[in-house]
Amino acid sequence: MNLQLVYCNHHSAELAVRERLAFPPQRLGEAYDTLRSRFPQSELIVLSTCNRVEIYAAQERPEQAPGHRELAQFLSEFHKVPLPEFFDELLEHTGAEVVRHLFQVAASLDSMVLGEPQIVAQVREAYRLAQESQASGPITSSLFERAFNVSKRVRTETRLSEGRVSIASVAVGEFGKDIFDRFDDKQVLIIGAGQMAEETLRYLQEEGAKEIYVANRTRERADKLAADWGGTVVPWEQLDDYLARADIIVSTTGASLVDVARFKAFRQKSRGQATFILDLGAPRDFAPEIGNIDENVYLFCIDDLQKTCERNRKLRQKEVEKAVAIIDQETDSFMKDLSHRATGPIVKRLREQWRDVVDAETERLFKKLPHLEKDRSEIEKTIERMMNKLLHPPLEALKDESREGSPHGLLDALKRLFRIGE
Amino acid sequence: MDLSQVGVVCFLASYAVAYGLEWLRLRGRSQINRVTTLSVGLLGLIAHTAYLVNRSRMTQLPPLLSSSHDWLLVLAWLAVVAYLFLSATDPELAIGVFLLPIVLILIGSTYFVSDTVNRRLDSLYGWKMLHASLLVLGMLGVLVGFVLAMMYLAQQWRVRHRQQAPEGFKIPSLEKLARLNRWSVMIAVPLLTLGMGTGVGLGLYSKRGAEAVQFNDPVIIGSGLAWLVMFSLFIWLMASRRTPGRQVASLTLWAAGFLLTTLVGLQMATGKKVFDLKTWHVHYAAPQDSWIARNSR
Repeated sequence: MNLQLVYCNHHSAELAVRERLAFPPQRLGEAYDTLRSRFPQSELIVLSTCNRVEIYAAQERPEQAPGHRELAQFLSEFHKVPLPEFFDELLEHTGAEVVRHLFQVAASLDSMVLGEPQIVAQVREAYRLAQESQASGPITSSLFERAFNVSKRVRTETRLSEGRVSIASVAVGEFGKDIFDRFDDKQVLIIGAGQMAEETLRYLQEEGAKEIYVANRTRERADKLAADWGGTVVPWEQLDDYLARADIIVSTTGASLVDVARFKAFRQKSRGQATFILDLGAPRDFAPEIGNIDENVYLFCIDDLQKTCERNRKLRQKEVEKAVAIIDQETDSFMKDLSHRATGPIVKRLREQWRDVVDAETERLFKKLPHLEKDRSEIEKTIERMMNKLLHPPLEALKDESREGSPHGLLDALKRLFRIGE
Repeated sequence: MDLSQVGVVCFLASYAVAYGLEWLRLRGRSQINRVTTLSVGLLGLIAHTAYLVNRSRMTQLPPLLSSSHDWLLVLAWLAVVAYLFLSATDPELAIGVFLLPIVLILIGSTYFVSDTVNRRLDSLYGWKMLHASLLVLGMLGVLVGFVLAMMYLAQQWRVRHRQQAPEGFKIPSLEKLARLNRWSVMIAVPLLTLGMGTGVGLGLYSKRGAEAVQFNDPVIIGSGLAWLVMFSLFIWLMASRRTPGRQVASLTLWAAGFLLTTLVGLQMATGKKVFDLKTWHVHYAAPQDSWIARNSR
């Protein structure tokens, strides 16, 4: 069994790159169709959030695995982004490193905001969509299911999730509070109605925000979010009026909504108030140049939180170490399980085959030399020990090899040497 | 401890050390640094107070009225009291970094202004005291506005450039700074206006006597011009209630900076130490009354 991961995240690539490679939810089905047709032997799961674009692949045999370049080529063609523009920022993991990486992602160790709770929901959603598209399979299923357990374990056994841990809380807490003294007299406009929008709304309400407007292309989702948080739904067609009025704008759609011209048009209608725009979309909803047009408009995107998050990370170093220890342990355990799944049937067949030989030869021996019958038990035990001792070196080698992934070479060798059938 | 020998250099040095310690905050929050900074600042304030008390005893006049030298020291003293109060109540507030340089400039400038004692206080003592008090409080308001404007621009630069504030180096939010900035101007300008008004009234009253005030005096013209600039800012703020904070901060910085520079500059220009611009303010003062000159002999 073979695991592979090709990805870029906030460590390896700028938001400008990530947003071009991101998969909007409405295009994920198409992405899975293309992936399945290109790599029919592989189980595939795509994880696309504002901080990462990751493609997980798993297959029975390594020769079936899509290459790093092949997956990069898929990204390039699917998003129509020339390969040289991002290839160097695309990283790759194989074997145990894939497992470790996913566990770190799900436990939010790899998140920009350490301990943030949204990521596990995003991983869960990615897994669900892959299942729906029939792109996942038994290996990826067990990998992702284990990742959710690891996430839960890290959350309960460490204090990583305590304090200011959401992207929204860091953004509002760190930058919003440098701009505004209070939030209870501010007009807040939330664009989008997903998990990130809800998380931001929760934090803003905790900070006292009262006048909340929600805008979303799909009216039903906006209605639900507004109802849950006591906000008012804004018709999508009237968005510009509310953009002009709002003091705080949180945008999470990832749909490149506002360019410079549109911004200038609605800003002219505003009262020139200080406006804090938090663009949590990938691709960005607001053109980055908007931040330089008006002195009273403060535009922040995900990458602007990097330094704050680094400081956050240093403060929680001890908890990080505990979480890393859990992840290391879980990675080893998962790899053993995976290896057992791959090697188990071969080892079982090998033992059975030898057992058959031993049984047949023992029977033949006692038939020829019946006077040995009185020592039968002792003789059988000796042969058993011999068989175990002879099998020990190849099985140990198999075990060692399987620590870093499925030992396909050795398994093939064993099958050929001992003539073990599939 | 004999506080009668305290000189300007004593508290000037204390405040300079406190200012240096304030910058050490940038290297991280430290309780030792905080206590040391406040202690040094407090020692400076004690020396500063003792100096003003000694001066008052010697001249037998309140420092506000005795000379330009003392008047500037009173302004600096008020600024230091504000600094120590704010620093003690909010350990993270980085007010010292912005306020202490102005205190140092004010105290440093007293070396170049006249310390000759004003002898024209024979009549209307109360009105003259009111005139000086209103002006010094108005100047304090302008000084606070100037500091708030600097803090606003520094904070805005930091936010726009996504710079993190060092730990223990807090600047209030832009919204709060803009509000306080507006209020400082709203309070300072009426005080200055009343101070100027009482000054004009006193000048007109003096026409009845032999020692009439000359309204074409350079100090009066310069101060009037600086007041006019601040008053224009005040009118503009009153007229435009929703002015962006940055505009308010920039204009306050220019107007308050102009007023502070003009007033301190005029005192230096007429102080006979750097220049010898003729003015009514020192015209009637006896040169032999120079207290510093006497003490330095």
